Amino acid sequence: MNGDRFQGVAFDQAALSEDVDLDAERRREILLAEANLDRWSHWEMLGIAWNATSAAAKDAYLEKVKLFHPDRYAGKRLGSYLSRLERVFKRITEARDTLADEAKRAAYARTTAPATEFTRIEARRLEDERRAEERRARLARGNPLVARVARVQEFVQRGKAALAEGKYAAAANDLALAQGLDPKNAELAALAQEARRKAGAAKATELLQKGIEAELIGNAAAALERYREALEQDPANVRAAAAAARAALATGDLASARALAVAAMKAGPRTGLAHEALGLVLEAEGNRKEARRALERALELDPKLDGAKARLKKLGLLGGLLG
Amino acid sequence: MSDLEPVIGIDLGTTNSVVATVRDGVPRVIPNRSGQLLTPSIVAVAKNGKKLVGTLAKRQAITNAENTVFAAKRLIGRRWGSKEVEDARRVLPYTLVAGPEGHDVRVALAGRTLSVSELSATVLAELKADAEAWFGRPVRKAVVTVPAYFNDGQRQATKDAGKIAGLEVLRIINEPTSAALAYGFGKQIEKKVVVFDLGGGTFDVSILDIGKSVYDVVAVGGDTYLGGEDFDRRVMDWLTFAFAKENGGVDLRQDKMALQRLKDAAEKAKCELSNGGATSIHLPFLVSGGEGKGALHLDKQLTREKLEELTKDLVDRCIAVAEKTLKDAGVRPAQVGEVILVGGMTRMPRVQKAVKDFFGKEPHRGVHPEEVVALGAAIQAQALTAPAPKGEEVLLLDVTPQNLGIMVVGGYFQTVIPKSTTVPTSQTHLFTTVQESQTSVRIAVLQGESERAVENELLGEFILDGIRPARRGEVSIEVTFEISADGIVGVSARDVDTGQQQSITVTATSGLTEDELKRILDEQLDDLLEKKASAGEWEERRDRVLAIVAEIEALVPAVHAALERTKFGKDAVQKAEGVLARVQAAIDARDAAALAREEEQLDRTLQLFKGLAAQTRQPAGK
Repeated sequence: MNGDRFQGVAFDQAALSEDVDLDAERRREILLAEANLDRWSHWEMLGIAWNATSAAAKDAYLEKVKLFHPDRYAGKRLGSYLSRLERVFKRITEARDTLADEAKRAAYARTTAPATEFTRIEARRLEDERRAEERRARLARGNPLVARVARVQEFVQRGKAALAEGKYAAAANDLALAQGLDPKNAELAALAQEARRKAGAAKATELLQKGIEAELIGNAAAALERYREALEQDPANVRAAAAAARAALATGDLASARALAVAAMKAGPRTGLAHEALGLVLEAEGNRKEARRALERALELDPKLDGAKARLKKLGLLGGLLG
Repeated sequence: MSDLEPVIGIDLGTTNSVVATVRDGVPRVIPNRSGQLLTPSIVAVAKNGKKLVGTLAKRQAITNAENTVFAAKRLIGRRWGSKEVEDARRVLPYTLVAGPEGHDVRVALAGRTLSVSELSATVLAELKADAEAWFGRPVRKAVVTVPAYFNDGQRQATKDAGKIAGLEVLRIINEPTSAALAYGFGKQIEKKVVVFDLGGGTFDVSILDIGKSVYDVVAVGGDTYLGGEDFDRRVMDWLTFAFAKENGGVDLRQDKMALQRLKDAAEKAKCELSNGGATSIHLPFLVSGGEGKGALHLDKQLTREKLEELTKDLVDRCIAVAEKTLKDAGVRPAQVGEVILVGGMTRMPRVQKAVKDFFGKEPHRGVHPEEVVALGAAIQAQALTAPAPKGEEVLLLDVTPQNLGIMVVGGYFQTVIPKSTTVPTSQTHLFTTVQESQTSVRIAVLQGESERAVENELLGEFILDGIRPARRGEVSIEVTFEISADGIVGVSARDVDTGQQQSITVTATSGLTEDELKRILDEQLDDLLEKKASAGEWEERRDRVLAIVAEIEALVPAVHAALERTKFGKDAVQKAEGVLARVQAAIDARDAAALAREEEQLDRTLQLFKGLAAQTRQPAGK
């Protein structure tokens, strides 16, 4: 077929002239393959290009097998060529076994890649990876479902971090947003509720402080306003309710003072502050007897309540006794 | 082409064997001398000492169960003490004994102990003689088929059988591959083909890539102990159980003659159910009813549904093996272009349906399941002897069915050549000495799929000896394991440093030793297979036959009386009349062979008449 392939090859003259039933062309073909058993790659052995497909490898093998399988020379005298054929057959079968298997072929292709091909392939692999990463990011942005899930996660994470830092207002805000995007998540709902509660308490404390400051500078109306706001944030805050009742008394709004004192009693029926506030209101209403009882109860619960002590003294009875 | 020496292909089956050849470019089955295409793989020694093979042996199997050897293929190349042999000992009516070395199986037959290879050789010689009669000239070369899953020992023993039969075995090829060859012969095929071969005793499944007239086996799987006989046994067990239930616990398995009749009836019923929905099993006078009682009859109805129920797990096992083989080869059922059914058992509708359901397509129906293997063998025999015309040349690339390996420290199995490797192939393995001045190394070579050496088949132990004395680890010996195109294993060794060939001694094989094989080959096989009767024997036989005829005639009145009261035996009497007519014709023509054929029939008729006559006397109060 192609005489050039045999050029420059030193054939074993003894083998070429051996008395067997093979023509010269066929002998050269066998001797050439045999001489290169260890040198040729699987690709070369099957006569295909580097990185040819596994289907191409199978096809090439079927052609080579017709040339190199000993059974194809049935009834012919083969002499030393029989063992040569066997060796070549085993070698091409080995090549086929590797190249016809997609995974093995790919691995083999990498290890046998010519230098230029190798860099080209490596560059392409890196490029492919970069593109895949980009594609994933784009997908996240474009897909509403993916985006929503990602945002919920982001809010929850931020909310939790703020909770841990004691920034309850910020936490409640983030978690409320997250809950809005994912309303059916019970765990998230509980977390948001907790954040809201803590944020309300924090806000109430802050307002209470402001109210005390206003009271100190003698602005009872402003103090009442702050205490009411604090009470709104945290309806169970006894201190705010009691302080508000006191401030209302100071502004002369007896009705509000009474309502606030009742609220304080509801929020903390066993606190001195609530009873003190109630006592003050009762006193202002002129119910001295009930006022005294309330103040006494307040001191029972909290002996350090100086305001209650002072009022009882004024009411005179206790003062006489204490002498 | 006619001046070329004829070559044949032989399918040496568990139940039946077939011989074929390629004549004028057309593969065809050679009929035996009785005109049948299938020759039963049965060898017997008749009561008169005559050796019988094939149909003649089968015909007398019922009356001579102990000296009739069937299913020898199940034993060939097996090791004594293996599970398969132990199972066979329990169910076979003939006697098995250990070989002289205690490794292989021998069969005790009419006072002689024969190797399984010799028995198979007797069948092969019969087929060879059939082919010679057909060609009118001697035949020497043959391709013999074996199940794909046969290991080295079984292949070697089959090849030995060929040698004993006077055949040059050109190649041992796998039955499914052979079937694929016959299927694709003369066609332009480019596809994946699965051969589903469920024969008498073995199940094989092979996956082939066919293209450019190259038959490339991708993977093989199978079970060497699953076949038609297992289906028969299920029917037999069912019948035995039902019989015991109806007859107060009479166990038919105690009676070898009854067992043989039961086996024939079970096989016949199974075959009939491939075409019909129900069949009747009538076995009159099956067994004696005990002291002072009449003989017992068996009369059962078997439906196709019942047969399918009895054998469902066997069919499931076939599909499971097929599934695993495909999976191991990485082939999905949908990728299979054609499924070829081979073996008599694939006639069973339930088997066909299971195959269809699994592969999602109708199996190919163009090949004759019992002849196709022999035809393929004939095609390969032709390809290995005569250069084929351009475009018609075929090439088989087969694989090794099991892992080949060696035993390593700790009793583990180390694979040297993995299964499904295209043969011929070879692999080298380096051994070093582990002791100071070590002069020999023992290597156990095994075949199988288990990680543990003992669970695999031991092919042989090879002792590398005459190693040059040196410090330990200094001598490296390269051992080359080879598997030939026949699937037969060879081992050679070489000292890496000196290049010296190392001697190897085989210490144990399962089969005949070289010496034994030589001795058997020296003996004339005719000794085993007597063919012609002398004039003296003719006289002797005629007299014996006439004596039986006289006995039968004496029983005729009693038989007539019996027939008036029982529905059994009417057709048997008609048959008996036919036998008597043929006996008369044979005597008139002085035809010894014909007379020999009828003798066993005559004997059976006599037994039947005796049974019927006993029935008549019974109610008379005797």
